[in-house]
Amino acid sequence: MILDTFEALAMVAAIFAILILGTTHLRTNLSFYSLHTMAIAAVTAWIASITHEDHLYLVAAGVFIIKSCSIPWFLNSVIKKINVGTDGGAFIAAPLSMHLGALMLGLSFMISQQIPGLIGEADSRLGSTAAMSILFSGVLLMLTRRAAISQIVGFLVIENGIYLFAVTQTHGMPLMIEMGLLLEVLVAVMVAGLLLFNIKKSFEHIDVSQLTELKD
Amino acid sequence: MNDLLYLTALPASLALLSLFIRDVKLTRKLVPVLIWWQLGIVALVLHPCLINGQRMEFTSGLAVDKMGTYFILLATFVVSCCITHADYFFAAAEAHGDAYEDQQLRLFYASVNLFLLAMTSVFLCDNLGYLWIAIEATTLSSAPLVYFEKNKFALEATWKYLIVCSVGIAFALLGTVFIFAASQRGTLAVPTLNISELISQAQTLNFPLLRLGFIFCLIGYGTKAGIFPLHTWLPDAHAESPAPASAMLSGSLLNCALFGIWKVSSIINAAQPHSHVHQLVAILGTVTVVAASLLLLRQHNFKRLWAYSSIENVGLMVFAIGLGSGPLFFLQALNHSLAKVALFLLTGNIIQASGTKKLNKMHGVIEDCPIWALLVTLAAFAVTGAPPFGAFVAEMSMLSLSMTDERWALALIMTVAIAISFVAICAHVGKVILGPAKQGFKKFQPIRASIIPALLVLGTLVLGLVVNTEAWSGPWSMIK
Repeated sequence: MILDTFEALAMVAAIFAILILGTTHLRTNLSFYSLHTMAIAAVTAWIASITHEDHLYLVAAGVFIIKSCSIPWFLNSVIKKINVGTDGGAFIAAPLSMHLGALMLGLSFMISQQIPGLIGEADSRLGSTAAMSILFSGVLLMLTRRAAISQIVGFLVIENGIYLFAVTQTHGMPLMIEMGLLLEVLVAVMVAGLLLFNIKKSFEHIDVSQLTELKD
Repeated sequence: MNDLLYLTALPASLALLSLFIRDVKLTRKLVPVLIWWQLGIVALVLHPCLINGQRMEFTSGLAVDKMGTYFILLATFVVSCCITHADYFFAAAEAHGDAYEDQQLRLFYASVNLFLLAMTSVFLCDNLGYLWIAIEATTLSSAPLVYFEKNKFALEATWKYLIVCSVGIAFALLGTVFIFAASQRGTLAVPTLNISELISQAQTLNFPLLRLGFIFCLIGYGTKAGIFPLHTWLPDAHAESPAPASAMLSGSLLNCALFGIWKVSSIINAAQPHSHVHQLVAILGTVTVVAASLLLLRQHNFKRLWAYSSIENVGLMVFAIGLGSGPLFFLQALNHSLAKVALFLLTGNIIQASGTKKLNKMHGVIEDCPIWALLVTLAAFAVTGAPPFGAFVAEMSMLSLSMTDERWALALIMTVAIAISFVAICAHVGKVILGPAKQGFKKFQPIRASIIPALLVLGTLVLGLVVNTEAWSGPWSMIK
């Protein structure tokens, strides 16, 4: 099997997503997230150069500036202010969940051969494998971590997986929509970050598994 | 393009203004008047669509049909009612000595206007990508409304709301990507996300991918609408936000997500009528109604009661979408919005006056305030679908339609579930209304607080009396 360059980059992104699962140190998580998103921006730029769709260069620049620089920087400053260094505790120990993530990568490869309609010559199987593996890593992150900030990172990783799927399988959605998505993600992270401050202030922790006051 | 500006200019500028006007009392009076004015503008701009049923195209990807017009009018109407009542709500809070800070109120009014803007754009979208962006924007703009009270409970509710809805809706984005891929890999191979184009060339799309996309969109937008296993955020958010905000969430936000489901399901219906995957929608609706009616039996919180009743009504609307009937979907949405907004506003009044949300601490509201007791009873009947209110016509037509559609098993289950929820709501409301008064009411203004709810109850009553099933399926069937 010969990997195209963009497929290799997509795999790099998937591996960084799995590495996020491997540590509960929040700043390391954010650095990995930043690298992971840079790989995705590189995939986008590479595909733009293959297909000569110029709008993808713009999208790649947007992904790089907003998702791999601004958002990690913002979240970093949030955790610095609320003074939380590590995730209080994961439901599945970090090394174990990293191995689960690696297992998911294999599973994604099998699933990606089953997606109906995506078995044509032009379709990149490894691209969708990487995208799906990133999606699973994000879900795993959200399910196993307790700190509110890990939930945000999990959401961002899921969103990246979906974005990578769109880029590798459909060569990107129209420019207006991609830009709208970027803006939306940025605003969502801002709102969640502000809420995070308040959670720390009123509860004195950011452990979302303890937010169970409301029930019937 | 100009029309688009007319539709959005007022809420956008009001959102900015309400942040900067120093005197909050002025904002409280000014915003309601201007939002009613906005209702007039919307009706005026969209009247060709309203009268002739002609589609209005603004730019590529933004267009509105008759159904969208009705939903925009409904959303604007709901927001105007709630914001008008909010003035009384804040005045009563002040009179009881727990006034809100000015900054809090400024943020409230700014968010309400952004929320209205986001909801209006949901119904203007003719593009699945824009639709996703607009629906996510409704989540983000309404999060400050849920967090309004700024206590621990509100914080927890807002966090759940934001995370559950954002992740849920991320799956709708995946579904959108699948549908885009379906158009690329169809026989025509024209990549598009434009909903009307997708519908017109539905036969040529790659069906397996379209089906996959539909399922993901159904789950994603279903989370936002509160269908059964994914409803967890809904009772929390509705119960912890202030009454006018809960009314807006229930009366207009849920309709936005359901509108998304409707759009996607009309694509798959055009591609292959009566496909197995589309049967899923009606089943999901039935499951939601059954689950909600059982959960309604055991409720301890007045506002959570109405939140679960909203889930039940969402189930009914999803059922109508599953039957492929646009008019019935809108009729149910209209009646639910009118009755539920009235209920949330009245419940807010009662909670403010009695100082408790707990159902077992409230008794004999009829002694404290007969008008409110009467209105709550009428609105509760309206929301459960009892005759002669409008929801009865909608639910009856839905059930008879599913009987002729040979889905009698679903209709049967649905009937039992509706009966259970009727009994549950009657029992809870009966305990609150009747008997000797237990709680001491603080000072309140019964008439001023009842105007909007009374009008809404009257509205759904008139709908029930005027609208009959034949008229509904006649000229209205154009929507379909």
